[in-house]
Amino acid sequence: MKHGSRLALFHYWVAFGVFLPSVLLGAWQMLMRSPLPAPLDDSAAYYASVTLHGSAMAYVVTTFFTMGFGYAVATTSLGRPLRGMTAAWIGFAICLIGTLMTVTAILSGRASVLYTFYPPLLATGWYYGGAFLLIAGSMVWVVLMILNMRAWRRDNPGHPVPLSMFAITATAMLWAWAASGVLVELAAILLPRAFGWSDLIDAALGRTLFSVTLHAIVYFWLMPAYVAFYTLVPAAAGGRLYSDTMGRLTFIMFLVFSLPVGMHHLLMDPEHGSGFKFLQSALTFLVALPTLLTVFSICASLEIAGRVRGGRGLFGWIKALPWQEPMVLAVGLSLVMLGLGGFGGLINMSYAMNSMIHNTSWVTAHFHLIFGGAVVIMYFAIAYEMWPRITGKALASKRMARLQLWLWFWGMLITTLPWHITGLMGQPRRVATFDYTDPLIAPMSPLVIISVLGGLILLISAILLIVILVRSHFSQSAAGEAMRYALAVNPPVIVPRTLNSFGLWNALVLVLMILAYGYPIGQFYFLKSHSVPAIGAVSSLDGRGEP
Amino acid sequence: MAGEEGSSSKPDTSWSRVSWSLLAGVFIVSFFIGFFVLGRFQQNSPTLGTWAAICRAIGISTGVGPAAEPQPPLQMPTRIAWTQGTLARIASGNEHQGAFIALNCVVCHGEHGVSSSSLIPTLAGMDAAVIFKQLDDYRSQKRLWGVMSAIATSLNDRASADVAVYFAHLPGGLPQTAGEGLPVGGHSLRQGDPTIRLIYVGDPERGIPPCAACHGPSAQKPGAPALRGQHTAYIERQLTAFAQGARKNDINEQMRVIARELTPNEMHAVAAYYGDANLEGSKR
Repeated sequence: MKHGSRLALFHYWVAFGVFLPSVLLGAWQMLMRSPLPAPLDDSAAYYASVTLHGSAMAYVVTTFFTMGFGYAVATTSLGRPLRGMTAAWIGFAICLIGTLMTVTAILSGRASVLYTFYPPLLATGWYYGGAFLLIAGSMVWVVLMILNMRAWRRDNPGHPVPLSMFAITATAMLWAWAASGVLVELAAILLPRAFGWSDLIDAALGRTLFSVTLHAIVYFWLMPAYVAFYTLVPAAAGGRLYSDTMGRLTFIMFLVFSLPVGMHHLLMDPEHGSGFKFLQSALTFLVALPTLLTVFSICASLEIAGRVRGGRGLFGWIKALPWQEPMVLAVGLSLVMLGLGGFGGLINMSYAMNSMIHNTSWVTAHFHLIFGGAVVIMYFAIAYEMWPRITGKALASKRMARLQLWLWFWGMLITTLPWHITGLMGQPRRVATFDYTDPLIAPMSPLVIISVLGGLILLISAILLIVILVRSHFSQSAAGEAMRYALAVNPPVIVPRTLNSFGLWNALVLVLMILAYGYPIGQFYFLKSHSVPAIGAVSSLDGRGEP
Repeated sequence: MAGEEGSSSKPDTSWSRVSWSLLAGVFIVSFFIGFFVLGRFQQNSPTLGTWAAICRAIGISTGVGPAAEPQPPLQMPTRIAWTQGTLARIASGNEHQGAFIALNCVVCHGEHGVSSSSLIPTLAGMDAAVIFKQLDDYRSQKRLWGVMSAIATSLNDRASADVAVYFAHLPGGLPQTAGEGLPVGGHSLRQGDPTIRLIYVGDPERGIPPCAACHGPSAQKPGAPALRGQHTAYIERQLTAFAQGARKNDINEQMRVIARELTPNEMHAVAAYYGDANLEGSKR
């Protein structure tokens, strides 16, 4: 195994190693809040578990997976060893230490603040310190991606940067911008309070800073899936990418549009004016552009593949696609979930409609369907695609891999569709127990039970994933294929400088961020302060609690 | 364009120009809608001043509510307060003048202030302050009854005092009960008759004070009518009206609170006690 491959593999294994227990926690949480009897039926344990599940899935799994994917793409797409290997391992170590601190703090019961850790909820400093290290450590990866792209461009003047590398660098920049909000919140607000250097906590400022991160982070999670859509899927389907330029534009638009929009998470926030809420809500709608562009490009690329394989007629090409390939199957299932979740998202981001579903289980359902469904299923497909390239061993069983993908798809639908409905019925999120004998809540009961079944299916699928990956890792049959990135129908020969670099786009982001967030954040420093006493996190697992 | 990257070329400047202009356009349009149009017109009609609307869009509370929204009127049970001034104004009423005004009342309240209908109260001998307050309540729509509202509206303060004094001094109506003692065992929770207990002792468990503390016999509060000899059906109907909130001109809401606690049977029993029992001296 090459050194670069080992780096990627370590990242992947941390990601998937954390993934399985987190799915288990999720399944238990669903059982716990359902009318069915659950082991360890305790609210304090529930909130600790939600914090662990959320922190692990949102920060650990995604960050490690994307970093690993980035390193793999950098080495394979540029066709040369990674520059800064030592720094990469140091970054990995920092992130790992951060993860261990975070997990330990949550397990100790002194960090039940949910993964959004909104103040004035306050956790132990170890939790915030761990989160800070994890996120700050990933900045090493950000810098390495940018440096590697720059170095390659310098060494290959006039040549377009391969789309996959261009996309992963866009992802890195997006993450740097996105993480700035939460890093500032941690360093300036939460850590000083957790260490007792200040008594009060500005809750509204904390929420606002977190909102800078909160939407862009979703696109950071999403980006590996999109990189796979553009660069791996057409190759796996045996065709070509419809347009290289559309791909570049898509990733550029994600970089620009996913950042100055986070306030649509604060549409019900009392501290912000309606004007900024509307402004960011309107900017949010622009994110639909790259999404629709992607759906179009990917369908077009798949159609090319289908017709190359002999598909005829209006829909004949769909049947002709190699559905036995996990990557092709995954993209089909992913697009279905992306479509359903996307329509739900339009409601979340609409200034007026949001009030119907704000803080209900609709929101939980939405991000599970989009992230846990559409995105994570592509993570699986990427893993199945990359495992043989990295380990040099053939995938244990494509049939099992397909079964695993189908189980995840149905599990996620069965879990989240009932949540959407209970959300519309008014079921709040982040609540541990419900009185299902109450006539107002009783009608939710069967829906909640159905979603528990979905959770069980998801758990089975997650176990199957690990089994497949472990079996492949230790299998005897060798496979020596190199990574295959899709060629475009018209491979890029000359690309305008603006589509081969990020200077213009980062300048646009900077200006938009100042316009969209300058006043909403600045007001807390100059006009109003909303410092309130912090509330110690609810306690230990036995539920006794401590101040 | 030359293959050499970095060499300034036309496509680059146009990418840059187009991107900046497109985003500026989107931003300006959203800004205009968010800060001017929506803030000002979001309820289909201008509810805020332009400046207040912009302030709200920015997130600065200007301390004003929506200007054009109708505010519900403050609910006051009555306009009357029992001040020295009010009592003096009533006492200054001219009985002789009142007799003329009272000609408007005889159709319902009887030639001599004694009503022959069980749902219309007898006025002869009723405290002048009580009549004065009810007339003012009718006038200000605090107590609602079609005919009485119409008549009271035609009277002014002065005329109300006159007619109130006239009826108060009219003999042969409600009996004078001042100085009357309590019935045997009346002031005790061990009183056997539940109705008498309710009237003279009340029911502390339900927060009901004794009726007699305000309505007599033997005690009187300003504005509270003496009930001895009043029509049973009338008293009962008023209790029901208070309980259901149809009548709400009791100054401290005391009658609404008490009546809500009474069962229909208790209302009837209390009304019957005042109206029918112990009627010595009264003329029906």
